[in-house]
Amino acid sequence: MTDYAVRITRLSYSYPDGTKALEGIDLDVAQGERIAIVGPSGAGKSTLLLHLNGVLEAKTGTVRIMGLNLESANLRQIRRHVGLLFQDPNDQLFCPTVFEDIAFGPLNLSVPRDEIPRRVEKALADAGLDYTMRSRTSHHLSLGERRRVSLAAVLAMEPAILGMDEPTSNLDPRNRRHLIDVIRGLNATLIVAAHDLELVLDVCSRTVLMDHGRIWADGETRSMLGDAQLMEAHGLEVPLSLRRV
Amino acid sequence: MKHNFIDRYAALDSPLHILEPRSKLLAFSALIVAVLCIPMDRGILFFVYFFVTAILMGISQVPLAYIVGRTLVILPFIVLASLAAPWKGLPGLWILFIRAIICLVLLILLTNTTRFTELLRGLRKMGCPQILVMNLSFLYRYLFVLTEEAMRMKQARDCRRVGRAPFAEELKTLSSMLGTLLIRSFERAERMHSAMLSRGFAGEFQVHSPRRFTWRDLAFLSGVACFVAVTFVVL
Repeated sequence: MTDYAVRITRLSYSYPDGTKALEGIDLDVAQGERIAIVGPSGAGKSTLLLHLNGVLEAKTGTVRIMGLNLESANLRQIRRHVGLLFQDPNDQLFCPTVFEDIAFGPLNLSVPRDEIPRRVEKALADAGLDYTMRSRTSHHLSLGERRRVSLAAVLAMEPAILGMDEPTSNLDPRNRRHLIDVIRGLNATLIVAAHDLELVLDVCSRTVLMDHGRIWADGETRSMLGDAQLMEAHGLEVPLSLRRV
Repeated sequence: MKHNFIDRYAALDSPLHILEPRSKLLAFSALIVAVLCIPMDRGILFFVYFFVTAILMGISQVPLAYIVGRTLVILPFIVLASLAAPWKGLPGLWILFIRAIICLVLLILLTNTTRFTELLRGLRKMGCPQILVMNLSFLYRYLFVLTEEAMRMKQARDCRRVGRAPFAEELKTLSSMLGTLLIRSFERAERMHSAMLSRGFAGEFQVHSPRRFTWRDLAFLSGVACFVAVTFVVL
């Protein structure tokens, strides 16, 4: 029963101040699938991503990752499977150098120390970066570079499932295109929360629409994003490339 | 915005730079303690230590102008500290001043011949508590992020302000800016913690250290130890 990479049933979550962030979420993601989560700001997209590896714990409902129930006994195993890319690279790159940031995950996973440099090199290459980047300090990198180093830091853990929160926000067109190409080349199961609907069209075959902590639609990307009525009802708009001239 | 005001020249590769951080930490601490312990009536020793510091400066390849610049920044504090001990008389003030300058130059040399990260690694290996080292490392990393955040807030304030407000008003704005900065830092800390947990953090910072303690370090350490011993016993 491990055909599903992610299986979420009746998941609800409220923040400590009582704000309901997720209400009765049901979502199955097959292994190797690439799905997008779209919806207005405050829809609960990021909160849902944080449930994938137990950063937030389900108040009610269950989350199963690669056949493992999300509970404290399985957390270590689950964090091996799930990598999360955060929206602000400054939150993700907390070590003084790029090398240390990328090595942080593998070291925590007890990867043998002599294998670390190879892992870092491979992760940098997978994220489209040069190995010479390793000795740079994170605060001297451009936003595009920081975003890709963050991705490398996640890829170094060789996750089977990769959750990304707004991976292309604030990037200039060239860096955005480069990052999209990198994402398209990845083998992991992808769950991308995004406002950038062109990215969604480019990368994901299936889309889930969230609003007010619920899932309102779940289906094939092109037909959903092309549905003007549905999109407008949830504060979104049909991407330019799908509009009839 | 680019800043590297702590260890700007730490990436050079002079004979001092390639030493293991622990040997530098020990040696520089020994030199600083020795300078602090020089008795007032043995002025010659100040010259000897100043001379050795100058030699280290030469070996380190850190530009003199940079060292002088950094010293000048901290000079007012040293002068203030010297003035705070008026009972020592003029010679006492001079000696306090010289002591402080030598120690300061030694510290600037230490931080500019060792990357801050390696310095932290050295501290950790020497038994400094993990939590302290981790906090210093975050301080180093986020100092820049916080500075930028503060500067952006200042720009935003300046854009919406015409002329100068009364002092009390200014103070009020400043205090609310500081409050916002504190809350933002707190929220960032929460998000960082999530990011750390996501990458398997379980309470202990694992480090991958490339440098090893070699014969060079042993030679440097014994050299400094002999020098300190000789200056105190013979001179």
